Parts: sequence; C-alpha cells; structure tokens
Amino acid sequence: MRLPQFNYTGPDTLEKALDLLAAHGQDAKILAGGTDLLVRMKKGLLAPKMLISLKALKDLSYIQQDKDAIRIGARTSLADIIASGPVQKEAAALSTACEKIGAATIQHFRGTLGGNILQDNRCFHYNQSAFHRSGRQACHKDGGKICYARDESDRCNSTCQSDGAVALMALDARLVLASKGHERTVAIADFYTTDGILPFAMEPTELLKEIIIPIQGAASAYQRLAYRSAIDYPIVCAGVLLKADTGKKDTIGEARIVVGAMARSPLFLAKESAELKGKSFTDTQAFQKAGNGAMNSASTFAVHNVGATLEYRCAMVAEMVVRALNEAAGSGKN
Amino acid sequence: MEKLDLTLNINHKPFDVRISPNDTLLEVLRDHLDLTGSKESCGEGVCGSCTVQLDGKPVRSCLTLALEAEGAIIRTVEGLADGDTLSPLQESFVNHGAVQCGFCTPGMLMTADALLKENPDPDEDTIRKALSGNICRCTGYAKIVEAVAHTAHPQDQCPDCASGIKSCCKAKE
Repeated sequence: MRLPQFNYTGPDTLEKALDLLAAHGQDAKILAGGTDLLVRMKKGLLAPKMLISLKALKDLSYIQQDKDAIRIGARTSLADIIASGPVQKEAAALSTACEKIGAATIQHFRGTLGGNILQDNRCFHYNQSAFHRSGRQACHKDGGKICYARDESDRCNSTCQSDGAVALMALDARLVLASKGHERTVAIADFYTTDGILPFAMEPTELLKEIIIPIQGAASAYQRLAYRSAIDYPIVCAGVLLKADTGKKDTIGEARIVVGAMARSPLFLAKESAELKGKSFTDTQAFQKAGNGAMNSASTFAVHNVGATLEYRCAMVAEMVVRALNEAAGSGKN
Repeated sequence: MEKLDLTLNINHKPFDVRISPNDTLLEVLRDHLDLTGSKESCGEGVCGSCTVQLDGKPVRSCLTLALEAEGAIIRTVEGLADGDTLSPLQESFVNHGAVQCGFCTPGMLMTADALLKENPDPDEDTIRKALSGNICRCTGYAKIVEAVAHTAHPQDQCPDCASGIKSCCKAKE
C-alpha cells in the first residue's frame, strides 16, 4: 500500500512546530510514531498536505516526577514508560496499559503515549481499504450521512480504542495542549467531544505537549480483553483507581472506574465509582456490584463495531471491571 | 512533490538514495536498493514481516518513513550473515526446521536477533512475548521458538535433546 503524497518537515524546536501548526492547521498532521496515522493514510482515510515530524523534538520525550505529579512528555515512547520506575509505582494502570499497546516492535520509540491518546476512533465499517469503502455509500466519519454500526443513527458511533487514555482517565490525568503563544491544561475527562467524527476537543493548531498524572498514593489497575495478545485493539477494557480513606486505611475513600472501547470516548462511571466509597478493600461483593453496574451503564453507549458481538462485549465489561478492582485492591498499595 | 536526497546507513554501509517524502523505509529498501529480504505483507504494522532494526531495536519498516530513518543505524536481514557464513540464529532456524514458506522469516530473525542481543539465553515465555508481534502461518511457532531458544545452546549440546526427550529443555511444549 502506497502512502499518498505530502510535504514533510521536521522542526527542531517546539516553537517552530507550533508556528507550522498555526500556519497550516487543518492541512497539517503531527507525525510522532506514525503507527496510527500512516495506516489511516495508507487506507485513504485522510491525506494531509503536510506532516510535521516530531523526530527532532527530543525535548518532548521525558518522564519527570515531583512532589505531586508525574509529568510525561507526549512524545515519550511506550517502552520508556513501561520501564519507568515512578510510573510503575504511582501509576500502575498506565504501565500495564502501555505494555498492552501494540507489541515490542511498536513500543520501541515508534509508539508514543501522545499518539496513543490521540489515535483516531475506530469502527470496522470505516477502517477499511478505499476499495472496500467504494462499494457503498460513505458513512458519517467518511463524510456521508449513514451509520452502518447503528441503524438510523444521525451521528458517528466510532469507538475509542485507546488503552492509554482509559488508564489515564482512571488516574485523573490532565493534558497540556500548546498552540502558538498559548497553553492550556485540560482534564482528560473533558478532552472528548461526543462526536465520533472529531472525537477530541482540541483545535487543529494545538499540539499535545504533556500528560500530568497526579500522585495520589492510590492503587490503580488496568485490564483489557482482545483477540490477540499483541498488536490488537481492546474490545473491552477497564481502568480503576482505589484510594484509601485518610482516617481508615482499610476503607475505600475514593474510587474511579473507567471503561474503554465501549463508546466514542473512555467512560468514567461516576455512579458506580461513588458507590464504592466507604466499602472495604476486601468487599468482593461490592466489586461485583460495581462491575454489574458498569456493565449496565456502559452498554447504553456501545454499538456493534469493533469485532466481537455486542452481547459478549457488554457481558465482559463486568468481568474486566471486577478483575481490575480485585487487582488494585490486592496490590497492597492502600 | 519534490524529491529529496538522503543517506541511509544500512548494514554498516552508506547508501545514497533519492526519495519522495511518502516513501516508506521498506519501499526504499526493496525498490530502490534491491534489499528484498524484508517483506511486505499486511502493510499496516500487524504482521511483522517487514521488521528491520533501527539502532538495534526492531521496528516496522512499512510504518517508518525513510526520512524518519535518516541518521539511524539500519540493519536488515541481509546484514545477519557474514558472507556465506550464517549467523548462529540463522543456523539454528535451519537446523530446527523453523523455516517453511519463509515469508515471515526475515521479520522473525530481526526480532529474535534484537531479543538475543539483550538477553542471550531467554526462556520460552520471553521468546514468545518478544515474537508476539510477528505472525507465521505455517510453522505454528513451536519450531521458531525452539530455534531461538537453542541459539545460545546448540541442540547437540542440550542434555534433554540428546537423550531423545521429544520436547527439549529450552522450549517445553
């Protein structure tokens, strides 16, 4: 498969990259590892006039820890994050999630955390070759007015299958978005539109610069289900965070349950998370109840568009959430 | 689109090429330089048959722009053997019948070679995990895993294999 034609530029400072983005905006795309972008370009799903490579922007690859947060440069390779001691200690869910992305051959400096967060939503009706798509009318994401995944749907139901984003939402991470002369920080939970066509609430002139993970002294875990152990997207996944009550060590003071690969964005389940507050870390019945609740809540959003049958995926939401909760509760970090 | 001149360091030799920005490393290797050992199969990073090493790490050459590989030390399957002398890993592949149709072999070799550089004597789980990004549709993987496991310990020196136990010491079935 040939790539469409484009101009290539590799700025060596962040300022130059932001200038280029400001000048070209919609026509330009950021190339980090390319494992998502180049595949979509090969399939003719997009044809940017310019690729702005981050190859020379080594300044955006770092993992720093201070008193309250771990800061990760968006260009940091997945392999570096997996190997990072602070991430393993303070953000176990992210470490596990990164291990599941792609395979070693993709994690080594091609795949980046920023790229994983910003990988486009997927749908097996859309992520097909140009030839396949030419045989039928275009869907919403392809510029048409039809959804093949849900009959009569007036908008795109493509699914966010990022592993990293689910773990980061469970960890309550924030994203730093930079554009020329401006920088803003947004909680990852607020980073998503409810539109499958353009799933991220960011301007074409903005660049994801940094991911900030608050250090909360909490236990976290990530579980995913996929057909293949490597190079496969999750069909269901769950990230959780359990924080002990300040007064009572064996009681859950705060919980965050996030379910992924079921909707246009990772789903933070506020109700199920709140219900775990005050429960014991060994209360497996409460975990099961949270899992069932998560299944009911997440099922509302899911459509049949990422492989396994919808019934199976919905049923597995409960399983993934329960496994993740048990793992976090048993990790001894509470 | 304008053409760009580029020097790539492949198997310790500099190669001058004139490329388009949208040429992948795999296309440059195969179509410009006749280094046809690396194979294109899926073209989207799923199968691993195009794996080459960049600075010692296995990467997908079908998803790497040639421009992005500038300045890196590139190693392809052609760089494994020394003339007609196969590398120990290649020798082991031949001896264990790890090659059937052979299409996945260059990618398997490059991934396994990078693993063995880091860990010369890996156990089965490590090998399977390292090779999990490479698909083989013929061998069922058992012989490939055996071949990698026995690179450090040739089979004729392996006590279990010599005593005729079917599944050898390194790669338990």
